Order: sequence, then structure tokens, then C-alpha cells
Amino acid sequence: MLPFDEDTIVAIATPPGTGGLAVLRLSGPLALETVRRFFSRPDKITPRYAAYGALVHPDLGEDVFDDCIVTFFKGPHSVTGEDLVEISIHGGSFLQQKLLEVLLRAPGVRAASAGEYTLRSFLRGKIDLSRAEAVVDLIHAKDAAAHRNARHQLQGALRTLVQSMEQELLQVLVQIEAELDFSDQEINPTCLTDLLPALEALSAKNQRVLATWFYGRRLEEGFRVPLIGAPNSGKSSIFNRLLGEDRAIITPRPGTTRDTIEKNLMIGGHTVVLIDTAGLRNTPDPAERSGVDRSVDEMERADIVILVQAPDTPEATTPTLNNTPYISVYNKVDLDNNPLNNFDVYLSCVTGAGFETLKELIYSQVINMVTAGVQGVVVSNERHLDIFQRFGDQLAVCQQAIQSGLGPEYLASDLRQALDFLGEITGKTTPDDVLNQIFSGFCVGK
Amino acid sequence: MLENSAHTSVSREAYAVIVVGGGHAGIEAALAASRLGKTTLLITMQLKALGRASCNPAIGGLAKGHLVREIDALGGEMARATDATGLQFKMLNRSKGRAVWSPRAQIDKLQYSAYMEEVCTHQENLELLEDEAIAVSTQPGGKQINGVVTRSGLQLACQALVLTNGTFLNGLIHIGDRQILAGRLGESASIGLTESLVALGFKTGRLKTGTPPRVRRSSIDFSKTTQQLGDLNPEPFSFSTTDFSPPNEACYITHTNLETHAIINGSLAFSPLFSGVIQGIGPRYCPSIEDKVVRFAEKPSHQLFLEPEWSHSDQIYVNGFSSSLPESVQLASLRTVPGLEQVTFIRPGYAIEYDFLPPVQLKANLETKRVSGLFFAGQINGTSGYEEAAGQGLLAGINASLLIDHAPPFVLGRHEAYLGVLIDDLITKDTDEPYRMFTSRAEHRLLLRYDNAHFRLTERAYGLGLVSSAFNNQVVRDKALAEKIAHHFETTFIQPAAIRPLIKTQAPLNESQSLGNLLRRPQVSIDQLTPLLPNWIIKLPQQLLNLVATNTKYQGYLKREQQQVERLLKYQELPIPKALDYSTMAAISFEARQKLQRVQPETLGQASRISGVRPADISILLILIRQHVSRETN
Repeated sequence: MLPFDEDTIVAIATPPGTGGLAVLRLSGPLALETVRRFFSRPDKITPRYAAYGALVHPDLGEDVFDDCIVTFFKGPHSVTGEDLVEISIHGGSFLQQKLLEVLLRAPGVRAASAGEYTLRSFLRGKIDLSRAEAVVDLIHAKDAAAHRNARHQLQGALRTLVQSMEQELLQVLVQIEAELDFSDQEINPTCLTDLLPALEALSAKNQRVLATWFYGRRLEEGFRVPLIGAPNSGKSSIFNRLLGEDRAIITPRPGTTRDTIEKNLMIGGHTVVLIDTAGLRNTPDPAERSGVDRSVDEMERADIVILVQAPDTPEATTPTLNNTPYISVYNKVDLDNNPLNNFDVYLSCVTGAGFETLKELIYSQVINMVTAGVQGVVVSNERHLDIFQRFGDQLAVCQQAIQSGLGPEYLASDLRQALDFLGEITGKTTPDDVLNQIFSGFCVGK
Repeated sequence: MLENSAHTSVSREAYAVIVVGGGHAGIEAALAASRLGKTTLLITMQLKALGRASCNPAIGGLAKGHLVREIDALGGEMARATDATGLQFKMLNRSKGRAVWSPRAQIDKLQYSAYMEEVCTHQENLELLEDEAIAVSTQPGGKQINGVVTRSGLQLACQALVLTNGTFLNGLIHIGDRQILAGRLGESASIGLTESLVALGFKTGRLKTGTPPRVRRSSIDFSKTTQQLGDLNPEPFSFSTTDFSPPNEACYITHTNLETHAIINGSLAFSPLFSGVIQGIGPRYCPSIEDKVVRFAEKPSHQLFLEPEWSHSDQIYVNGFSSSLPESVQLASLRTVPGLEQVTFIRPGYAIEYDFLPPVQLKANLETKRVSGLFFAGQINGTSGYEEAAGQGLLAGINASLLIDHAPPFVLGRHEAYLGVLIDDLITKDTDEPYRMFTSRAEHRLLLRYDNAHFRLTERAYGLGLVSSAFNNQVVRDKALAEKIAHHFETTFIQPAAIRPLIKTQAPLNESQSLGNLLRRPQVSIDQLTPLLPNWIIKLPQQLLNLVATNTKYQGYLKREQQQVERLLKYQELPIPKALDYSTMAAISFEARQKLQRVQPETLGQASRISGVRPADISILLILIRQHVSRETN
């Protein structure tokens, strides 16, 4: 495939799993125009100035509204030498993924390929020719890493899945191509509507794959698991005990934790970002108040919530959890001889009782999310997200072509386009692949 | 017709262009070069075999019909010859959209050959010689062509040499265990030329093809077969053919059966194909009957077409029964087929193995990368089919002439013509089986239609001097008219009341519709809309109107394909410097490096289409090209 360096590309520029901030970067002729549509104060965007505002777009969902900072670098005065926009938002947030998802759907925008920003910098003269070797090595390394990643991702399940989808689609195309290229021979004509079920099945599978994007990203960044509960219910003690170190400051005084602290924890091979939060209560103290607000934020972007209660603290008034899975924990069980039996797990930070159970519960929730995909596949990479989205859209186009009664030559064109998208993961399906299938499946030739 | 003796000697010792071979490739090459003003010599082993159709008596067909139309649009001869000598014309895929329609004709082989001989004989600047080329000669160093040496001892010089040897290079015919050194049955093989090319460093390979038996018409009971006629209102192949009223001679269809297959299965031991005697790789799209019976054992019967070889000929071509089994087995099995119970042979089917030169050794202008001024066209490049050969011959002839003029080569893109797809595939794919064109090989199939070949190509051919200004003017006028019609379609709105009687719609129409939008509805054809068209459009030739209607109907799809083409353009033609050393490019994958080394692509586009070369490899190559170029210029 030739480089298409006139396209507008997007990628998450910050490494996964590093918390606080995430930066999405768009480069190319449509970068500015695209970002303006998602930003509350498009007029404030000025070259080389950071513009503060909010992300607002119906496609981002009605309940999503978040602050962001947009910085515009006008080409050629940017690292890529073309118009470049950076959007800084909260890291690890649902919004970050959602935003990427909708940006990729914006007309003329696609995911960057491995090393593409660097390639552009070079092609636009931003990197000196004398450094060509370094650029070449970098592209090679990034491409190799991307492939390694794809290969290692759940033992190549992604590749296997895409190959099977490709085969299913190829079978449909082969039916049509055989008829177009060998109509002078004994090939039974295909009724195009008979091909619909196969396309529908593929569509459904693709939908399931796409639905894993959310969790896929989490595989890289870690699943966000905040400890939520009333002040002094022992959240920081649980946090420390789970991590096996004294990260959080513990005092018997309620409200000690005023800021959130997060730390990665490996459970069964998956990264969990454990977050210690300020206890939920109404408080006049403005510092503690803002801590409580942050706790609420964390709940909203959580993947799994650990709700902590203890015998010596009042039950916290927890905001609604929507559909976020949670684990209810009864802490300081050593202080209560007769606890209620409606908790998932009973902990004692003094004896260490219950911690293995808690880890198991977190693990099983994580696995629930991971296996929500198809054959263990989760989409975690933005290029793959881009491809599956386009593939899904194109499948819809194919189905529509059949439903509206268009002829086989139109459908073949649509199907080939769909195959080309999948080919970006597995390598292009060539006309020879199609012909090979025809020759092995049909007795053609005079 | 001139006396043969006139063709056994030559008038000069040096020619601008010499073409070796008088088949479909050689003819087009020689005609193109001479029409471009080059003194040209065509050397053929048998003058009366000029333009001989070695295999089936048909021109065109799916994808091949497109090639013939393109050859015509570029000023080639094949389409006119077909129109003049056709016995039956048929538009294939008529039940599908026009983008995949393709014309096909049964031809009168004798007349076809005679037509070509006539054209070649009277072509200005073109001389014919009956002789055999046995060696190519180069300037000292072997990098520049010098001329050719013939069997009769002539040493002829030329600036450009086009080799179109077909199946003749060390041709070896198989009929059962009989082996005959021949280029075609009854015609000597060409010996020596391959060896002289190998001595220059060329790589060669071995391919195989086959042909079915020719049988006596009088021995067939046609009452047991199904008659098949051509179209009642046939379309000619050539854009310049007028007053077209060709004959409509019948072909006949019959079928093999289990008894046929049993005989064949029982005789496989005598098949050189299955016993391993034949080493060359055969075309999968043109399998022998024994191949079909073995590979598709579950099929109870295979279709056979009985096609006349010339008008009212006693010689019938049994299409679908290509075979290298012993003659007795061919005959016995064929006699189990309805209508062929008493059949007698004029000659049996046979397989032929021949040398080819893997075409990755060629540049996009069909000149060899190794020897400047040396061109290969046709079956020598591993293709099969008259049309594929003719197309290459035409382009080789054009490019030989351009080379002599020090003009840039004439190379068609994959988005411009099937001919572009053909040549690009040949030089980048490195295939090991005979190559045939299929419409599925063209990624921009909807852009490359049989009906718009002249719109795509004729102006370029005129620029080269290959077509007359009258023909070109006609095309220019038609293009302008086509735009006018298209504009009318998009700007003329029709009231619902006027539409209702003509078109049934699911939802009732309440608003007026443009003609274009009506036409874009599936199931609506231009014929249905005729009552809504103004007189000036109705009076235009139907073909032009159909062409515009097709463009209108496919509009969204054509636009998408056009955009894909434009996206590709930027780096497609970026030349790869010859001095680039792939072996030092550690960042490029090992497989890609090997492939690039072998193919030596001329452009980044070509490199990107070599299998095993990945997108990242291309990015890296692009950077290294930039670096190389900047070093060179500094």
C-alpha cells in the first residue's frame, strides 16, 4: 500500500495507562475543521495558543460533557509540518475513548499507522534528510512493535478472528465474481438476497468486536477500580494492603484522604488501576469538599467500584452507579461479631482476612469484561477500532446494495472495499486470492 | 497478395524495428511501429500463418472483449479484423450491468488470417520476411540490442527488437506418450533463440497449454445438440466499424457424461499430464478434460461447445475438450457424447510445453531491464490468449518506436485500461502460471468499461499518431455530447404525473425527480425513460446514450473509484533510482528486500504491489528514495 499523506490522521499521543491526562492529536488538512465541530468555543482556537473549553457534540452522548484544552499548530509550523491540533482531556476516561471513536468517524479522518507522524515530519521537511536512517529505524521499530502487539494480543486471537471474517466475506465475493467472470459457463446464478444472511452474521460479529473497544483500551491502560465509601471506613488501609505497601496515609481521623491516589496492581495478568478516594460525606471544608467531588468523578469513570462499609462508620450516601459493576466490601470485620450477610466480601486489614477473595472478585469482573468480546478478542488499538468501524459501515453499504436491488457488479465493488478494510490488519486480499477460490470451487474453463 | 518469393529476402540490412513472430502480438507490434513511421521488418516462420488463431475460433469474451476494445481505441487492428471476419457476435453478461458487459465473436480463422496478411502486406514502412530468428545480437557488453540472426544466415540490424515467439520457443507437443518438437501441430518449433537469451543472462521458465481436437462437421449429429446463435442486433468491436451486418452462424452445445468420464479415468496412466511427463505449469482457467474429470469428480457432465473454424467449414472445434490423452482415448471418450457418436478427427487435441521469459524482467514499456532496445510481447511473457498477446504487441510496438525517438514511454495505469492492469500485473506479480485477463483483476472495474474505451484512450493514441484525426475528432465530439446529455439528465426534472405511467415505485412519488435520479433507481433502465427524452437526445446514436446512462447510473460508485485512483496518484509514479541497493536496507523486512531485489520495480507504485512488500516497507523505501535523490543532486 502506498502512503496517503494527504489524509487527516488521529492518534492518542500519550502512552496508555499513565493516568492524569490524555492527548489526542490530529494532523492533516481537516484537523482544525474536525476539532472545531467538537469544541464548545471554536472561535477561541488560535494558532499556538491553548484554548480552554468543553467537548460538546451530540455524538459524544448527551451525558458526556468534559473540559478540555485545544492547542492548534498551523502548518508548516508544527511537528508534522501540516495543520496539527492537540486535544488534552482527562486521562483514562470513558470520554477519551468515545472522543477517539467519533473522531475516527468524522469524514476524511483515519487512524495513524505505525510511525506515520514521524514519516510526515520527514516528508514535510521537518526532519533533516541526514536523519533519514533514524526515521527509517523508528518506523521499522514502531511497525514491528505494532505487529508484535497484534500478534501477542490474546495469542493472536484478533488475527484469527479477522482471518475468519475475511474468509466468510471472500466466500460471498467469490460467488459474485465467479458469475461475473465466468457467466459463459455452467455457474448457477446467485440470488443476491441469498447472500444477506452471511453479511448479517458478519455484521453482528463485527458489532460484538466493536463493543469490546471500551474494554480493549482498558487492557492497555488498566481497569479503573476506585475504593468508595464513608470517611474512615478503611479505604486507604485496603488500598495499602492490596498493594502490599504503604502508599496512602492512614490516620484514625476521618477525611484524611483528600486527593485521589492511584496505583497499578496486577491481578491475574491484567492491570488494575486501584484508586483511593476521599470518603463521601457532606463537609464544610472546601479542600475536603473538592476531594469528595473527585471521588464522584472517579465513580463515574470507573470500570468496577469497590463499595466499602465498616461497622464503626455510617453508611455513605453513594451516588447512583448506573450500570457499573461493583463489589460490596464489609471492612473491619474484626470489630463486628455478627455482621450482616449481604456483602460480597468481608475484610480485615488487621488479620488480612478476605483479601484473596476480594482479588478473586476483581479478577472475575475483569474477565467478564474481557470475554464480552468475540472468541476472546478485544479491540484495544485505535487503528483496529478505525478498521472495524469502517468495515462495519461498509457491510451496511453492501447489505443496502442488495436490498435496493443493485446488480452484482455494484455489490462486488462494495464487497471488495469491505475486504480492503480487513486487509489492513491481515494483508490485502488480492484478485489472485479471489481467482484461486473460484478455480478451486467451480469447474470453470473451456 | 504478393508472391511468397517477395518475402524471402529483405530490401535493407538495418531496420528501425524488427518484430519476430507473426501472431497476434507480432502483427500489432509491427503495424504500430510502421504506422508511427519506423522502417519495420516482421520475421515469421510461415507467412501464410500470419494472424493464425492457434486455438479457439473466437475473439473477445469476458475481460478479453475489453482488451480488444482498448486495442481498437489505441489504433490497433484486432477489432477491425474481428468485425470483418466474424461469424457470430454476442454481448456477454447482458443480464448484468453494463460495466461488466463484454463482447465476444466467433471468427472465420482463414479469413481472419487473410485479412491480417492483407493489412500487413499493404502497410507502409512494413516489410515481411519468411525466416526464423535463431539468435539476438547485442552491442559488445550485451546491454544494447544490435539485431537478429536468422536461420537462412541473414544478420539484420535494428534499433529495437520485439520478440513475440508465442509457443514456439523449444515447443514440445504431447499427445499421449508421443512427443513432437513443434510450435504448433505441423509447424516447426523455434530452436536457438531461448539459448541466445539465456546467454545474455535472461531467466526462462516452462509453461504448458493445450488445445482440443478438431473434428469433421459431417460426422456430427447436430439434432442431439442445442443450437446457440449470436445476438440479433450485434454491436461491432471497433468504434470505426459502420454498416455492420455480420453473419450469425450457429455453434452447438452438448455434454459429456459418466461414460465419457469413465473412459478418461481409465486412461489417466497414458496422460503425460498425470504421469509427470509434462513439467510446465498449465492454466487453471483452461483445464484439460482429464483435469476437469479428476478435479471435479462429483460433476456428472461437462459442457462442450462445437464451434465452426471458418464459414461453413467442415472443421469443428470442440471447445471444452482440450486434452493430451492418446488420440485413441480422445476419440473413444468423445464418441460417448450425444451427437458425437460417429465423430471423426481431423486432428487430435494436444498439450504443448514452451519456454517463456518471466516478465518481471521487463519494464513497464515491455522493454527488458537487461538489454536496452529489446522488447518481449505475448505468450513469451507467460500470458495466454490472443487478446492479451495483441495488447502487449501493440504497446511494445508503440514503445519501441518511442524509444527510438527518445520520447518518454507510453505506459497505461491500472485505472486507465485493462491493458494497464495486464502489464502491471505481468511485471510485478512474478506468476508461474499462464496469465489470462479477468475483470476481477481490475480494482477499478467500473471505470474500465467496454463502452468507454475510446473515451479513455483515443485522445492519447491520437497524441502518439496512432489514430486518424477524423476518428479522434469523432471521439472529442462524442465526449462533448456525452457531457451535454449528462447535464440534461441532472437538470431536467419530471413531474410525478409523468413518471407514474413509466415507472412503478414502492412509495408514491410526490415530488418531481431529475432524470438522473430516476435512472439511478435500481431496475430502471434508460429505455423506460425514452418518452421523457427530448428529440435531440433520441436522435443520437444509441451507444452514446447508453454510455451516458451507464455513467449516470453508476455515478456514486464511479466517484468512489475515481477518488481511490486520485489518492493513489501522489506516489504511484515516483521513480525508484536504479542505483538503490536493497541489500543494505536493514529496516526493510527480509522477504520484501528479496522480492524488491528480484523484481527491481521502476516506481514506488510497482513496489507497493509486489506481494510480501508491506506498507511500512514502502514508507521506508520512500524515505530512502528521498535521501538518495537529495544526495545525488547535492
